[in-house]
Amino acid sequence: MSSKTKGKGKADSFAVVAKGLTKQFGKFTALDAFDLKVRKGEVYGLLGPNGAGKTTAIKIMCRLLKLTAGSFSLLGMPMGDGRIPQQVGYMPQETALYNNLTVHQNIEFFGHVFGLDNATIAKREAELLEFVDLVKWRDSLVSNLSGGMKHRTSLACALVPQPELLFLDEPTVGVDPKLRASFWNYFDMLKSKGITIVITTHYMDEARHCDRIGFMRAGRLIAEGTPAEILKRTGTDSLEDAFLKAAEGAVE
Amino acid sequence: MNPKRSLTVTKRVLFELKNDKRTLAMIFIAPIFAMTVFGLGFSGDVHDIKVIVVNQDQGFLNPISHSNVSISEKIIANIDRDVLVVGYGSDVKASIDKVKNGDSYAVIVFSPDFTRTLMMKMQNASYSGNATVKVMADKSNVNVGNAIIKAVSDAVAKTIKKEGLKAPMEIDANDAIYGKGMTFIDFFIPGIMGFVVFLLTTLLTLITFVGERTSGTLDRMLATPLKESEIVVGYATAFGITGTLQTAELLTFGILVFGIPVEGNVGLAFIIIALLAIVSQALGILLSAFAKREAQAIQFIPFIILPALLLAGVFWPVEAIPSWLRPFSYIIPPFYAVEGCRAVMLRGWGLDKVWLDIVALVGFAVVFLTLAMLTLKMRRK
Repeated sequence: MSSKTKGKGKADSFAVVAKGLTKQFGKFTALDAFDLKVRKGEVYGLLGPNGAGKTTAIKIMCRLLKLTAGSFSLLGMPMGDGRIPQQVGYMPQETALYNNLTVHQNIEFFGHVFGLDNATIAKREAELLEFVDLVKWRDSLVSNLSGGMKHRTSLACALVPQPELLFLDEPTVGVDPKLRASFWNYFDMLKSKGITIVITTHYMDEARHCDRIGFMRAGRLIAEGTPAEILKRTGTDSLEDAFLKAAEGAVE
Repeated sequence: MNPKRSLTVTKRVLFELKNDKRTLAMIFIAPIFAMTVFGLGFSGDVHDIKVIVVNQDQGFLNPISHSNVSISEKIIANIDRDVLVVGYGSDVKASIDKVKNGDSYAVIVFSPDFTRTLMMKMQNASYSGNATVKVMADKSNVNVGNAIIKAVSDAVAKTIKKEGLKAPMEIDANDAIYGKGMTFIDFFIPGIMGFVVFLLTTLLTLITFVGERTSGTLDRMLATPLKESEIVVGYATAFGITGTLQTAELLTFGILVFGIPVEGNVGLAFIIIALLAIVSQALGILLSAFAKREAQAIQFIPFIILPALLLAGVFWPVEAIPSWLRPFSYIIPPFYAVEGCRAVMLRGWGLDKVWLDIVALVGFAVVFLTLAMLTLKMRRK
């Protein structure tokens, strides 16, 4: 953990504080005493290969998996606090949409479950469809969309409630480079509104857009810092190499 | 529990159905199809059975009027011709061969002294011998065999009565307490209604919910403010609505097309079947917890269909089920719906008499909905 994080003492300046998160599936340890601190208004990237525990960590904090050990608090609320669901958004790794609903109906549903009124949903939907480039497809059934379009619809569904804290699991998978760049611009815009984003990706190069990144391997955080710090510490010039070095145990 | 959020789920499920024409067709065309096929193909009453009568009876010369009397002719004339198609033979052996060849189902033989024995016996009870109608039937088809024997017995009883023959006993079954003039199909349609609603609603919810689990949308919902109870109640409302519409459709069709009698309150029959729809959808959600993929859900179908079909009294009364198996009928929800619906429609019973069936259905609904909710909670493991 970087010294910089330790220096910021006040608990309520953190959107995520996870301590010793451990998750076992039978004999397999998916998360092994995983610690994480994410500051409010930060874009934090969790990086690592498949099976590193990124998705497990996110699912635990989104209440989809129970912890074997450890604890966490989100936006200053301890786990189990009834107010958390209203403040936290989640975009799962799989597409997870209703194929027999239109793009609009999917977005509307995920707005309504957060208690948004129709006018708010309409306003945000218009903005989101513009950003994910699906304006023309608003009234198409999801089953008729391509994989990439489904993925963008899924992102729009996660963003419509505009919660204070967003967990996005691989949001840029299968998205073309041009659109990926516009995604990151949008995340920056959300950040400017004070929204905290925790994002997982295995595109190492795109992690440079994050304020801070954490490398995960075998259920543990093996290195953490701003992209520049990490490159400097590992003496590498790409995050890919930096990860390999970290994985060898070169860092902490 | 936030009812508004629950309704959001209901609305979404209904929108999905609206956009899915195939499933929509399954919901509204399949019940009518099933009812028509079962109703027309399974009327239950056997008819037009070929039999051969070998009448060797020489009759009896009435000493006063000098006319020859033949009781056997009268019996033959009284046979219900809708049930039996009567052909005549002169040789018993040749007629039996016809049955053996499958050309006919039975040989009915009147002996040469049939009328004579009968008359003598009536004059003098101690006269030796009996007037016997010999029925040799192909009983390999039990229904047909029984129908032949019943038709002959009925003809005998009718003749005794009409001819004023002296018989020490008679059965009078003309005054039915319920169901006078009822046919098998009248009995059958309420059963098939319960069966169809149960089957289609359970399957539809099962498949839809397995889809929610496998596509990740269930996880996605569970990560929102939606609570398990709101999801389950939202689903219950949606499939309660479709089940109710199905019921209304089936009732209308049954009454208008099959002319089934409704002795009691149609509304009550409707409520009973609608309750079954709610029980069925809860069962669908519950079962979905045990299927990892849609294909696995398909494997449940025999376990849903067979007990409901065989033990719930759809085709035959539960009294026909071996007594050791009968307790299982009582744990099958369609049993109560079929029993209650039949009692209301055919006997005209009211709430005062079918309340127990309704209580049982509400009980099933509560238990299944609670268990369905628990399976969702267990998902966060």
